[in-house]
Formats: sequence, structure tokens, C-alpha cells
Amino acid sequence: MRIIIAGAGAVGTHLAKMLSDEQHDIVLMDADEERMANLDSNFDLMTIAASPTSISSLKDASVADADLFVAVTPEESTNITACMLAHSLGAKKTVARIDNYEYLQPKNKEFFNNLGIDSLIYPEMLAAKEIADGLHLSWIRQWWEFSGGALVMLGVKLRDNALILNIPIFQIKKEQPYHIVAIKRSGETIIPGGDDILQAGDLVYFMTAKRSLTYIRHITGKDEYESVRNVMIMGGSRIAVRSAQLISEDMSLKIIESDLARCHWLTEMVGDNVMVINGDGRDHELLSEEGIDNVDAFVALTDSAETNILACLSAKRMGVFKTIAEVENIDYISMAESLDIGAVINKKKIAASYIYQLLLDADVENVKCLTFANADVAEFVVKEGARITRSQVKDISLPKGVTIGGLVRDGEGILVTGSTQIQPGDHVVVFCLASMIKRIEKYFN
Amino acid sequence: MIHLKTISRIIGTLLILLAGIFLLFSIASPFLEGNDLFGFLVSALATTLAGLWCLIIGKGSKGEFSRRDSYITITVCWIAFALFGSLPYWLGGHIPSFTDAFFESMSGFTTTGASILDNIESQPHALLLWRSLTQWLGGLGIVFFTVAILPMFGIDKVQLFAAESTGVSHRKVHSRVSVGSRWIFGIYILLTLVCTVSLKICGMGWFDAINHAFTATGTGGFSTRQASIEAFSSPLIEYVLTLFMFLSGINYTLLYLLLFRGKIRELYRNTEFRVYLFTVLGFTLAITIGLLAQGDVGIEKAFRLSIFQVVSLQTTTGFATTDYMLWPPYLWMLLSFAMIFGACGGSSTGAMKCGRVAILAKSIRGEFRRILHPNAVIPVRMDGNPISQDTRATVLTFTCLYFLLIFIGWFVLMIMGLDFLEAYGISVSSISNVGPALGTFGPAYSWSALPAAAKWLSTLLMLIGRLELFTILLMFTTSFWKRR
Repeated sequence: MRIIIAGAGAVGTHLAKMLSDEQHDIVLMDADEERMANLDSNFDLMTIAASPTSISSLKDASVADADLFVAVTPEESTNITACMLAHSLGAKKTVARIDNYEYLQPKNKEFFNNLGIDSLIYPEMLAAKEIADGLHLSWIRQWWEFSGGALVMLGVKLRDNALILNIPIFQIKKEQPYHIVAIKRSGETIIPGGDDILQAGDLVYFMTAKRSLTYIRHITGKDEYESVRNVMIMGGSRIAVRSAQLISEDMSLKIIESDLARCHWLTEMVGDNVMVINGDGRDHELLSEEGIDNVDAFVALTDSAETNILACLSAKRMGVFKTIAEVENIDYISMAESLDIGAVINKKKIAASYIYQLLLDADVENVKCLTFANADVAEFVVKEGARITRSQVKDISLPKGVTIGGLVRDGEGILVTGSTQIQPGDHVVVFCLASMIKRIEKYFN
Repeated sequence: MIHLKTISRIIGTLLILLAGIFLLFSIASPFLEGNDLFGFLVSALATTLAGLWCLIIGKGSKGEFSRRDSYITITVCWIAFALFGSLPYWLGGHIPSFTDAFFESMSGFTTTGASILDNIESQPHALLLWRSLTQWLGGLGIVFFTVAILPMFGIDKVQLFAAESTGVSHRKVHSRVSVGSRWIFGIYILLTLVCTVSLKICGMGWFDAINHAFTATGTGGFSTRQASIEAFSSPLIEYVLTLFMFLSGINYTLLYLLLFRGKIRELYRNTEFRVYLFTVLGFTLAITIGLLAQGDVGIEKAFRLSIFQVVSLQTTTGFATTDYMLWPPYLWMLLSFAMIFGACGGSSTGAMKCGRVAILAKSIRGEFRRILHPNAVIPVRMDGNPISQDTRATVLTFTCLYFLLIFIGWFVLMIMGLDFLEAYGISVSSISNVGPALGTFGPAYSWSALPAAAKWLSTLLMLIGRLELFTILLMFTTSFWKRR
């Protein structure tokens, strides 16, 4: 597949590396040559130092042959212009990164299609949604819905008080309303078999239906987790603003921002239920003055990953049970995990997994790259005559590192066991180790 | 720089327009009850001469216009209209004292509605119609009225508008100010027409209906009856007038958006309108309960009396259906709060305006939160958006100045021999352009018993209040006249 990526910022670079590893034909465009200097020599891709809004340089990049044109510069208007130009010059599919909630509204979708922009991506919005979900279900690390919520996948960190520790999975698995699809243990992702044993400190991914949430909460020993009432956000970034708009009205929210002008900007963006505080979020005195004792969740969203990690650690020490840190430096993610910071938000990974989905055939509805686990979850629609429908699940030899989490039939979530017969038209949720999606695609077509 | 020629030309044009109105009245006068043809003819002549004189001075004007000019123009224009507008009363001999005639005229144009007439029913009808028309013209502003009907001046009208318009923020209806003003004026005329017809249907005669429609939509409060609306003793008329006074108290830009753009949500989102609505309802509820507690009236009458007086005083109209001085004194206080609050900016009403009250109240709340959270950035929001510190400072200054002027007026009126209560009432009523005051200047009485000096002071307060303090007071600052 020939893919042109415009903008060698954080998202663009990450995407370019990831896709080039998957044997795609990548062209990376950016007006600033220096930003791409490293990439050109270390990765199998082509870089073009030219503005993505210049018609002649788009032609140089042979945009007419491109299967996908992705514009992810920091400037929304540049992205939109570049996509419109690329579409007119013959690119098959275009994606623009935007920074305006209005554009995402479903009623405007056709308008953008007419302009030649097939998809819009709003990384801050996606990140904010993850944060908001994490705050609403505070005992859950990660949360993903399939087929409009018929099935959910959730990641839970097990502590000593969980009820399912130290028993082989095949013993606890019987007649249970969930399916354990993956375990993350000390930096390693395990697709569990029946003999594996859950241990304290494991991050366990469950696939289940929404109605069983309270049961899972019980067996993972999270009953005493209170729901989040008071939230403190450090750093008034765009993600903070979007999160403030997404979290429910009954949560009280404080945003701490050190730049006064930014504070005034924040007050224009958020409602009256949010208090904007001018100060440094690392200042303990300020935090205790603003009632860190009563805070249920602390979210660190400054530009610096180091600051965010340290701030979350100190918040934990002050008794906040739920912390979320934005860590843009991918190398720090596993470190952040080992330091036991609740959840980690990475804008790049979120954006990349969203764009990655566009590369797969249209049958894949939904792909999520898991930030902690080096794995993907994909939702497939089963076609007539596909290999997976020929026999029961236990008799199909799926590659190692792949497990079927569940399926949605006629809007109802069903967990998959060995004797399940998959039918055409089912939405199947598959959990697999990274970069395997391409290989399992053929089972469903 | 002050451009005398440009100012003269504008004033001259306006005076010729006024003379034209006088001529129309001269033509209409013989067809109406009573004899005042002579007064209007002489007034028309005098105004024409004055207008021509101004135009001669203004000859050769290059149309230069500065910020200072706009403030001078507005001030001179309002004084000139009050002055020449008083001629029909005075020259016709219907109000023999010039002080009284000028007072009546100024009270009309500023839409105050305080009258010195003790024999309204015996006045010629054309004169009464003129008296009502002054309030209608003054309602949205004299210059506003002129720009809306005449394509004129050839100068930057935006500055003139700013000097005359009321309220905290000014949102435009149209990119061209003259087109926008025509839309607003269209709504004003529409309201007046509908009000006239409604009053006629409710049993008023055409003459009364037109007069009351003028003074209700202009929120002035002159009536053709000495006993004001009480004279009609019709609950239906009272409810209809309450409705139209309330509508005239809404920002006309909002009415435009509502009527021609169908934006109902805009109305509900508007903080000022919500404060207006809820303060009116709150005062009405409190006074209804107060009246019921007193026990003389039934629940419907108590509600009708209280909502009529509250709307009438809060929109600074000043119609009366009862003498509220007979109510318990604490209710007078509530009514005087309503007078000070006023309705929405950008309407035909006077007083502080609910927008400012809202900003003030929110500032107070923000101040308390700031004590608990010294590092918090706490915005004051109007319509959901934070307002700038500058706007807040202006509103706070305005409020201080407003109360300062009330206190000064109160004090000076007491020097002139008025009682504590009466002086307070007249000071508040004048600066807020309401009409009825308290005590022996309440709704049951005219203001004719005031000493002459007090009448002049009152007219000054009316003008200051109508032009929202700063325009007039600016004339009294030395820096305004310095060539810097």
C-alpha cells in the first residue's frame, strides 16, 4: 500500500515508523527537513522536504498513486487544505487531523466528504475520551466498547485481594460471564491458556458484556473503590479542555495551569463546573491548599512526560487512588507502568491505532492498539463462506498469539467457547499480539 | 478637535426634522379635540428658524467627525429637542411656566414620564399626542430614530450610536449600522401597532389606544388620564399593557433574532434576559405575598396589581393602577429596587439594566470564591462566555457612579426642602427614568408641587440617566475640553 504522510510531528513520525515496519510504501512530507533527518537513514521510507500544501511537491510525491493520504501537521487548516489538494490530485483516501469539535459532528460528515476529506481524526478528543472513560469507571485501567457497547473489553490491575488469584484459569473459567483474553505481566504480554495462573500485579484483560461489570468488579477485589467525585487536572492542554467537556456534570474539576494567559484561555473554553487555578501542579502546598486530600483522581497532562510521571507519583503518595498520566515519550511508557501509575495516555498511539484501522479492509470495524500491552484488538465482520465459519472454534487452528474474545450477533454480546459455531454476519472481536492482524484477516473473508 | 460645523449641520438637520413633525401636528390639530393650532404653528416656525441658523453655521462642513464630537452632538441634540419640544406646551399657553414646560418635555424625551400636569383630561388632544410621541421618539434614542428614517449625515454614525445606546455590550443586527437600525426600528413600530390594536380590542378608544401604545413601547409612562391606567378599571387592559411593557424591556437585538431568525434558544441563553425575567417574577411573587398578608385583596387582584406595578417600574415606564404608597412601606423599598435594577440594555428602558446587575452579582460571588481559592482564575460569565476585566471595571464604575449620583441628588433635593422619603424617591425615579416616586410624589400625585430648582435638578438627573451617565458627565470633565 502506498501511503503519504504529511507532517513529521509526533503522530506523523510514529505512524511512519509503524507502517514502514509493516512493509508499506511510505512517503513522509514536511517543510522542515531537520525533523526528518534521522528517519530517512534509519527507516525504510522516503522523505520529501516540501510543504504538503504545495501542488508541485504533492505531484513530486506522486500523490496520484497514493492509496492513503494522511495529513497530521499541527495546523488544522494546513491539514484540510492538503487533503483537499491531494484528493483533487488523485489520492484514493484522505485523512485530516483536526482541532475543532464542530467538524466531528455527524451532520458535517458529508460536507467534508464533498470537500475530498474521507476521515477526520482528532487525537486530543480520542485521548480525552479515554480519560473520561477512565474517570467514570475508576477501578478499570482501560476500557473499549465493541459494536456500540454490546461487548466490552476492560483491563484491570489485580491486587492481593482479588478472588481469582493462584487458580489455573481452566478451573475458574467454567460458566463464567467473562473471557480472559490477555495478561500483562512484568512487561510481557501473555495470551493465556487454561493452565496459566493469575498473580497479584497482573494487568488482566477481560472480555465481557456490560451487565457483568459488577461481577468482575467483585472478583477482582475492587468493591471498595469509590466512584470519582473530585478530579484534579494538571496542565491546561487541549486534552484537558476536551476532558473537562466530556466528564459528567456531577464531578467537580480543577485544572491547574502555570501560565496565566493560558488560564484565561481555559476559562473561555470550559464551563462553570470547572475551576481554573493559576499555579504549579508540582507545588505541594498549592495542592494541599486546593484540597488534594479530597481528590479522587489526578490527571497529569503537561507537555513533559517526566513532569507528568513524577506528579502522578507524588499524588499517589498524597493518597489519590486514581492517577492518569499523559506520556508522549513512548520509551517511558513501560517505565511508567512499572512505577504503578494508574493509566497512561499516549496521543500518538491513540491516533496511530485510529489511522491504522483505515489501512485494513473495510470489514475491520474497530482496532485498538493497547498502550500497555504490545497487542491489538480488532473487530471483524464475518463474510459468507469464510474459513472461520467452517467448523467449531476449537477445531480451527488459529495462529499462536491470537484469541477470539467474543462475538456480537443481532446486537447481543456472546462469549466464545470452544464449541461456539461462528456464523456469517457476526461481529467477532479478536485479540492478538501486535502486527498479526493482517495474518488473521483471511480467516474472516 | 471639535468640529463645530459638522455638529451644527447635524443639529440643524435634526431641528428641521422636528419642525416638520410640528407642522404635521399643526395640520392634524384642527381635526382633534381642543385648540392648540397656534402653539404648534409658532413652534414649527421657531424650530425652523433655529434649524436654518444651525445649517448656515454648518455650511462648508467637510464631514469631519471625532469621538468628542459625537458626545457633544448627542448632548446638544437631546437638550435641543427637550428645549424646542417644550415650545408647544409653553407658547400655546397650556403650561404657562417655562420651567414646567421644559420639565414636561425632558420627562417625555427621556421616557421618564413624571408629569407636572394636574389637569390632563382638559388638555387639547394634539398636545397630549405630542406629549406621548416625545416618549416614543426618545424611547430608542433621538439620533437612532433619525438615522433609522433618514439617509443622512455622511459621517461615521457608529460613534454617535455608541454615545446614545444603552447596556453593557452592543451586538449588531446587520453589518451596516443604518440597515440594522432600520430593522430594530421596524420591530419598535410593529410592537407599537400590535399594542395599539390590542388596546383598542380591549375597549380603549383609538386616541387613548395610540397614546398608551406610544408610551408603553417607549416605556415612558405618560397617560391621557390623570389617574393613569387605573382610570380604565379594566383588568384586561392592565394585562395587555403589562405584556407590552415587558416586551419593550427586552433587548431589541434579541427580539430581532427571535422574530426574524427564530432563535428562541438565544433568548434563553442570554444571561441578561434571564435575570430580567427572574427578577420581575421574584419581585412580583414577593409583593403578591406581601399584599395577601395584608389581607385586603383577593389572590387574582393581588397578583395583577403587583405584576403591573413591578413591570411598570422595572421597565421604568411608570404607569400606575394603584397608589402603592398605601401598601406597607417595605414593599415601597422592593419597588424602588425594581426601579434601580431596570430591564435589559438595548431596549427603550432606563436605569441600571439587568446585565449590569448580573455582572455585579457574579463579581460578588467570584470575590468570595477568590478568598477561598487565592490562585484560582475566576471568570464572570455572560451568556456562557467570560467577560473582560475592562468590561467588569466599567460596570463597577458605572454602579458606583449611579449610586453616588442618587445620593448627591437625594442630598441636594433635601437642601431644597424636600423630605427624606420624597427626596430619595425623586432622585431614584429621575435618574432611572421611571416617573412615579415615593411619598407625596407617588403615583397618585403629579410633580407640580416641586420647587422650581428641584425641577431643574430632576431634569438634569433624567438626562444623565437616559444617556447612561458617562455621556453627560464627560462634558463636565476638564480633559474633555483640553486640546489633547
